[in-house]
Amino acid sequence: MYKYSEKDKKIIAGRVKQFRNQVQRRLNGKISEEEFKPLRLMNGLYLQLHAYMLRVAIPYGELSSRQLRKLAEIADKYDRGYGHFTTRQNIQFNWPKLPDVPDILEELSKVEMHAIQTSGNCIRNISADHLAGLTNDEVEDPRPWCEIIRKWSTFHPEFSFLPRKFKIAITGCENDRAAILVHDIGLKLIKKGSRIGFQVFVGGGQGRTPYIAKKINDFLLKKDLLNYLEAILTTYNQLGRRDNIYKARIKILVNQLGVEKFKELVDESFKKLSDKKLELNETTIQKIFKFFELPNIKHCNEKISISSNQKFNNWIKQNTIPHKILGNSIVLISLKSENRPPGDANSMQMYKLANIADKFSFGEIRVTHEQNLVLPHVKNSEIYEVWNELDKLELATPNIDLITDTICCPGMDYCALATARSIPISQQISNFFKDYGDQKKMGNIKIKISGCINACGHHHVGNIGILGLDRNGKEFYQITLGGSSKQDASIGQIVGPSFSSENLIIAIKKILQTYQKNKSSDKDDFMTVFRRIGIEEFKKNLYDNTGKTN
Amino acid sequence: MIILEKQTEKKNLYQRISQDEFSVNKIKTSSMLSLNQFMEAEKRIKSKNLKVGIFLNSDQSLDCLKDKLELFSIIQINFKSFKDGRPFTMAKELRKLHLYNGEVRASGHILPDQFVFLLRCGFDNVEIDGKEKKEWIELYNMDEGLYYQP
Amino acid sequence: MSANDLLTGKVVFYSPGGWSFRSNDALKINIKDIEKFQRIIEEDEKRCIIVSPEFVELDESGHIKTLRDKIRNSGVTIEI
Repeated sequence: MYKYSEKDKKIIAGRVKQFRNQVQRRLNGKISEEEFKPLRLMNGLYLQLHAYMLRVAIPYGELSSRQLRKLAEIADKYDRGYGHFTTRQNIQFNWPKLPDVPDILEELSKVEMHAIQTSGNCIRNISADHLAGLTNDEVEDPRPWCEIIRKWSTFHPEFSFLPRKFKIAITGCENDRAAILVHDIGLKLIKKGSRIGFQVFVGGGQGRTPYIAKKINDFLLKKDLLNYLEAILTTYNQLGRRDNIYKARIKILVNQLGVEKFKELVDESFKKLSDKKLELNETTIQKIFKFFELPNIKHCNEKISISSNQKFNNWIKQNTIPHKILGNSIVLISLKSENRPPGDANSMQMYKLANIADKFSFGEIRVTHEQNLVLPHVKNSEIYEVWNELDKLELATPNIDLITDTICCPGMDYCALATARSIPISQQISNFFKDYGDQKKMGNIKIKISGCINACGHHHVGNIGILGLDRNGKEFYQITLGGSSKQDASIGQIVGPSFSSENLIIAIKKILQTYQKNKSSDKDDFMTVFRRIGIEEFKKNLYDNTGKTN
Repeated sequence: MIILEKQTEKKNLYQRISQDEFSVNKIKTSSMLSLNQFMEAEKRIKSKNLKVGIFLNSDQSLDCLKDKLELFSIIQINFKSFKDGRPFTMAKELRKLHLYNGEVRASGHILPDQFVFLLRCGFDNVEIDGKEKKEWIELYNMDEGLYYQP
Repeated sequence: MSANDLLTGKVVFYSPGGWSFRSNDALKINIKDIEKFQRIIEEDEKRCIIVSPEFVELDESGHIKTLRDKIRNSGVTIEI
């Protein structure tokens, strides 16, 4: 794992001091809310429906047990004993008080954490494949690259007041688990001959106008990474729209100019403004890579033994993946149990999970963009024990990638922008499909739920996407089908008129019936069938029976 | 209004000219012209070998001036809102792309929290309300000079 | 008339005794008097008491009209 240098520590401490000053100026009236807002947002502090919300950065989703303990402690001391893991691999606290926030940030800095640039119109926390460095199908570990970009983008003097927020994701695999094609910039490590470089995608995004990112560079040399990113940001900062918040993301600029023209401008800026000092040399790169070497994991032939306990067997099948070092497994911890909002964990779970990680996984934990957690290196010989511990904490729901493994934004229960609630919908789905066997029959399927058009719940790229709307003061839900955030990314298509919350489950059931009916083999997953038969087939079944009166 | 360069207050040597008082013949080296005024006066400035100041708003592009920068002893970029980050890129391009070495000044709606960013992007000084001087210097002094960027 | 408390971010309602955490205390305001109350809001924003003010719409029987305002008033609708 990455460890702060003395410089990192000083920079973070400096920021805490600066934010303390900003909060003080706000409290004594020296700055207005309008002026304070961008400053607090740059420190991850929002004002939501019922309270402030603090979003703490978990760079590329990697946590140590010590950090997780600190998060639990903060949840208890300053909040209401729980936290919410987000789709950008961060954690949110829903109830902090404004005067406490500088103290919280100071406590976080003691475990090398911060809330810098988790919000605001700047470059946000860089996200990565949650299985980075753990699988054999990887060209190269993306985390060191995230760290290099994290540094470059932190307090960037030129890019802290962009037209709009800016998100970057990196994958080192063909199999994209980081949803890079729905990011402002998506980077994919690829191999060309014996050399490794980046494919660069730009202008992806969700929100009210979703776009799949377009490729603007087929092979970017490693040494040029920062200069090239700088060229993209320079172009965007100058030309991105500032007159309309809904048209300010880079995706709109790329589409208005056309990707060819945009690429031309970036290339020109890259050629003219590239700075030797931003070039990455092999020594710097190697120094960062050193931090991300695997711990001392033992290679062995131990397999996971089948138990007489069916619950355990289901969990093994659903929630574990073989580690690249034989005899070990990657454990996925579902935060989608029936009883809690998706992505939430309470302080007790966090404390105990930190202990489990210390005992069984070299003290490492990861956060996935699908709002689950990972124990990255667990010995096969100890996996039953791990399951047993997790099960006691209600953290062993065997549903990874199944229908109840939903992505869900906080919705109108917390968020000031939401038009409908989303957590109750996800809970309805969890309740309805709680049986593992039933879920297994549906195969891998992603349901993603957003409580408003801003699409924090990624509904556009859900195989089944659900968007909460307000229709004359009542909550209604629009369904989209066929979205995907993987390497074959696509934006879901709207099936038709929206459904009331009571009818939504019936509608989902009917969609699943259509899928089941059209499966040509057991291997056909939902997306395969959808792409084969198209949306019309689903519509027919859906509205013929439920009618359009919903 | 005062001019602040790091911790030091500086005398303002330039005056803006209102449209009523503007006349091409009255232009001096201490004039701070708007883009339109400059276009009107460009010929005379060149023929008299004058150097003047130019005042741009954050939404005005530098593109049409890039070959004329030697005519300016100062370029003032005025923020319409502190949230409009274009001037940061404008200053960088002035310095790094166009190699402009005259004075660059920020004015308008800017916050003391942006002071160091402004200086790092190539601004020399800021025009601010004299009442805020203490705050600006305080935030300038809080900076320890540790950055991740070159 | 409602807002969030600057310090805690909690929802507050304007009552005859000032800003209150209880909606029961809230003053019901006729739409034609709104301007007068807008001045109070501006004043209290400047005095760093409240942030993010808004008017809560009531129906004819005096109940909160929109679901969003109901949730603002009664809190998170799910068990946490």
